[in-house]
Amino acid sequence: MSAGVGVDLENLWIRFGDFVAVRDANVNINGGDFFSFLGPSGCGKTTILRAVSGFLDPSEGKVLIGGNDMRGIGPNKRPTALIFQNLALFPLMKVWENITFSMEINGASAAQRRKRGDELLDMIALPGQGDKLPSELSGGQRQRVAIARALCAEPDVLLLDEPLSALDLKLRQHMRTELREIQKRVGITFIYITHDQGEALTMSDSIAVMRAGVIDQIADGKTIYNDPNTAFAASFVGENNVFRGKIKQVMGNEALIRTNRSGDLVARVSTANQGKLKEGDDAMMFVRPEAFAIAPDGATGDHFVTARVTHEEFEGNAYNIFTEGEGGKEIKVSLPNLGQSFEDHTGQNITLEYETRNAVLVPAGELAAE
Amino acid sequence: MNNSFLRVSIWVYLAIFFLYLLGPLVIMSITAFNSSGFPRMTPWECLTFQWFGELFQDQRILNGIKNSLIIGAGTVVLSVAMGLAGALMLTQIWPKLRATYYTVIIAPILIPGVVLGISTLVFWDRINRMLGLGADSFLSNGIFLTVIGQSTFIASYCMLVLVARLQRYDVALTEAALDLGATHAQAFRKILLPFMRPAIASAAVLAFLASFENYNTTTFTFGEYPTLTIELAQKVRYGITPSISALAFIIVALTVFFALLNEAKLKRQELVAAARKNATVEELAGKIKLPSFFAGNMAAVLVVVFAVATITVVGTATAYNPGQCIANVKEQKRLEAEQRIQELRKQREEQRKKREAEEAEQGDAQQSAPKPSNNSGFGNVFAPNTLDSDDEDDATGAETPSNNGGSGGVFDPNSLQDNQ
Amino acid sequence: MPGFLKEFFNRNGTGMGLAILGLVLFWTIGLIILPQLSMLDFSFRPNLPPPEIGGPKDVYTLENYKYLVYGPEGGSQSYNTVDLRVFFRTLLAAVCVTIFNLILCYPIAYYLGQSKGSHIRIFAIMLIIPYWINEILRAFALRIIFGETGVLNTLFTGLGIWDTPFDFIRNDIALYAGLGYAYILLMIFPMYNVIESLDKNQIEAARDLGAPWWRIHWRVVIPYAKPGISSGCTMVFMLSAGALAAPQILGGPSSLWFTQLIYQQFNDNNDWPQGAAYAIVLLVTCILFVLAVMRLFKVNMGDIGK
Repeated sequence: MSAGVGVDLENLWIRFGDFVAVRDANVNINGGDFFSFLGPSGCGKTTILRAVSGFLDPSEGKVLIGGNDMRGIGPNKRPTALIFQNLALFPLMKVWENITFSMEINGASAAQRRKRGDELLDMIALPGQGDKLPSELSGGQRQRVAIARALCAEPDVLLLDEPLSALDLKLRQHMRTELREIQKRVGITFIYITHDQGEALTMSDSIAVMRAGVIDQIADGKTIYNDPNTAFAASFVGENNVFRGKIKQVMGNEALIRTNRSGDLVARVSTANQGKLKEGDDAMMFVRPEAFAIAPDGATGDHFVTARVTHEEFEGNAYNIFTEGEGGKEIKVSLPNLGQSFEDHTGQNITLEYETRNAVLVPAGELAAE
Repeated sequence: MNNSFLRVSIWVYLAIFFLYLLGPLVIMSITAFNSSGFPRMTPWECLTFQWFGELFQDQRILNGIKNSLIIGAGTVVLSVAMGLAGALMLTQIWPKLRATYYTVIIAPILIPGVVLGISTLVFWDRINRMLGLGADSFLSNGIFLTVIGQSTFIASYCMLVLVARLQRYDVALTEAALDLGATHAQAFRKILLPFMRPAIASAAVLAFLASFENYNTTTFTFGEYPTLTIELAQKVRYGITPSISALAFIIVALTVFFALLNEAKLKRQELVAAARKNATVEELAGKIKLPSFFAGNMAAVLVVVFAVATITVVGTATAYNPGQCIANVKEQKRLEAEQRIQELRKQREEQRKKREAEEAEQGDAQQSAPKPSNNSGFGNVFAPNTLDSDDEDDATGAETPSNNGGSGGVFDPNSLQDNQ
Repeated sequence: MPGFLKEFFNRNGTGMGLAILGLVLFWTIGLIILPQLSMLDFSFRPNLPPPEIGGPKDVYTLENYKYLVYGPEGGSQSYNTVDLRVFFRTLLAAVCVTIFNLILCYPIAYYLGQSKGSHIRIFAIMLIIPYWINEILRAFALRIIFGETGVLNTLFTGLGIWDTPFDFIRNDIALYAGLGYAYILLMIFPMYNVIESLDKNQIEAARDLGAPWWRIHWRVVIPYAKPGISSGCTMVFMLSAGALAAPQILGGPSSLWFTQLIYQQFNDNNDWPQGAAYAIVLLVTCILFVLAVMRLFKVNMGDIGK
């Protein structure tokens, strides 16, 4: 893969009046990476994208593209191309005119544009559709036209603002693979905005998890999933069960937490918080549903949780058990369906078991909204 | 029963309503073809096209049309530009200023046109004086003042038309163009302007029509350049002739024609869009067989019918010579007038005789004597049928014009008619 | 403010931003606000020949307004009864025309707004066509109809309904018909726009509950259509009160319209300040009247022009 052009955000602040949309963001995006900003709507990820593409001036800090400060350079002079959430295809232009708009701006002849347009249409697997209007295409086809239009401008950095959100589930999953393949083929930096953790995890080399203008964690998908920095990152990415409590004792990289409901439990302190969490701190322990197993009745210890089952459900690939948890929230346990028989525990107390490495301890903090 | 009664009354109401709306225009148009010197539908005299000829020889009307076109063009350019800028500003103005701004730009619609004309005149006169320019400067030029005065409120209409479309514009389109390297001017020209084109066309047509028919504002500002409307108003106020009807007929016909044409075009666009939806890729590549202009397009058919009718009428007009009919009518009028004079004379005679009789208290035998001869004489000789012979027509045709012209006031047919 | 301007130029670019801002400022300030202020200022000045303008005699005075109320100084009457009567008659007649138009147009607007089908488009074209014909010609058409020897008189005397021609013009019937005629479209369109968006189910529901048709209109349609009705009424009232062509062509010789007085001051008497003062009185009275009526019926200014 060719080393593309990197993007750096240095101490970036963006304010709208009194409202802080982005708070002190520091991000280094390597050239040629597929980088995602992941967060709920309103967290400021689109604002960052608009600052990179040049539609917004940062209140403080810098946006660097390929090491050059972009301050004062308009969107039409930056080596970026943006794919809008609603795609923003020009409704009155034919597909090929849409795709080659950037060439029209540069004064290319119609024949040149037509040729390049056909090449790009082949690339996005829509050969011969150039004479249609955008409104005559399906959602997925429009999606690909938007990508082709952005690529035709030969940008160093492609910015994508939740481009898949308007598609149905099947198409969305298909487009994920396709986007990733296109990115690998053209080798330029992709910056991708999404609130869908599935998209972020499947496509990205790196992910920044954002919450209310703050970047909580930047890491690859596996790290984000397995070793979250904050309660928000742990609860936003994937399903997770939370146990609140106070640190009772720190033992190297592990700690004992006195939970409000389930007694003392042991967990691994997340990497970023090692050495920072101290005894007496409020903390949260997260255990994924698939990390639980059913233990023999009566087992006790610091990695066993006993609770009453409220209901159960069969999901095909997994069997889900829900038990009473703290604060009205249930604990979800997901047992993989490997052909074994499941018995109904509803109304009974069961004991759950987990391995210490699968329980992560972070400082107490805000959880993602359901 | 109740329901059908309601339905019938709705249709009756609609009929009366559209009669009120369109009836006057139809009647006015018809009067353009009646040879009567006063625009009227009844009594019908002769089919004539002379009023159109008169219209096209009227220098003041022609000059008015020229001025109207110049002023209309200026107003269209200025008010569409201001309306577009005003609409763009409205969509992005600081929220706290928005309500005030909207009130200001909408106010000219509600301000009486007279007031707009006066304020324009007064204001630019003052500017003119402040700059120390003479009375013949550009700023006191009738065309400039009229364009400015009319644009003040016509721009508001344009703004309303344009903002309706602008609200459906996705700003992301402009941003996408900028992002792909276009300058702001290029994005405006290549993306926003094409999107706004239908609305701009509507606004331009609206502006031109509003300018063309404006009277209230223009009447204060026109200076040395009276528009067609001003000339018409002068004519209508100081004596009306059917040549105004002829002009009205032309305008009505043009309006109907363009309304139908527009309707046909819209219909065609719908059909084309529907056809594109169903077309295959190969067809779209250029060989698409679009529905013909007339297929399933009532309005288009009407346009053609209308055009053919117009050509026929114009063709007839050049070939048709109403001279004979006019002559007949004039002769008839002359005779009617003579009859009337005779009657008057007779009445006077009778009165005189009465007086004489009263004075003399005698003369019973003489009173009824002249009556029979008078009546029978007119009744037989001047019956309309007898006028058809050629000889008589030529003779009367030669002599009547001067006769009629001189006595137009005296022989006003109205007075005759009332007493018949 | 600078923040707003900066964003404005960021969004539109410097060149486009300047063009937009320049046109808007020219329109709002140069064409709308300053001329009105200039006219206001002018109305407080005496009528002077051009050389004396700006001279020592050019001082502010209430003379022009006094004239409307009290008439010429040393006049025989204590009030300017002629002009005042014209003024109030104009306002009253404009109100009558507005009410007439409202009653005439409401059923049409309702019918057009609530029925579907291709004939609605034809009706719309038939509505618009008269509006495209010159204002003067529309008045002229009515004059042909209402004239002493016009179509109506010929028809009625011919049928023997009355034996002498009825003078529609002297009785102002032609004028009211002409004013009503001129502004039908402006009454129908705002109402139509609102009524069209009224959910048919609401009417169905009301009918289901057994409401008679007049109550459906009174309780459901009219309250919903209020913005459109007020918009239409405002426009028709303002335009009728400010009409000039129709009164000049269709008005009787003895009954003047207030705009005709203004016209006379400007064109016949050459007394611009006096004309400006009359124009200000007309403008301010009309606006106050509209605002008062809108307050009475609890309508917002923002609904006008939609």
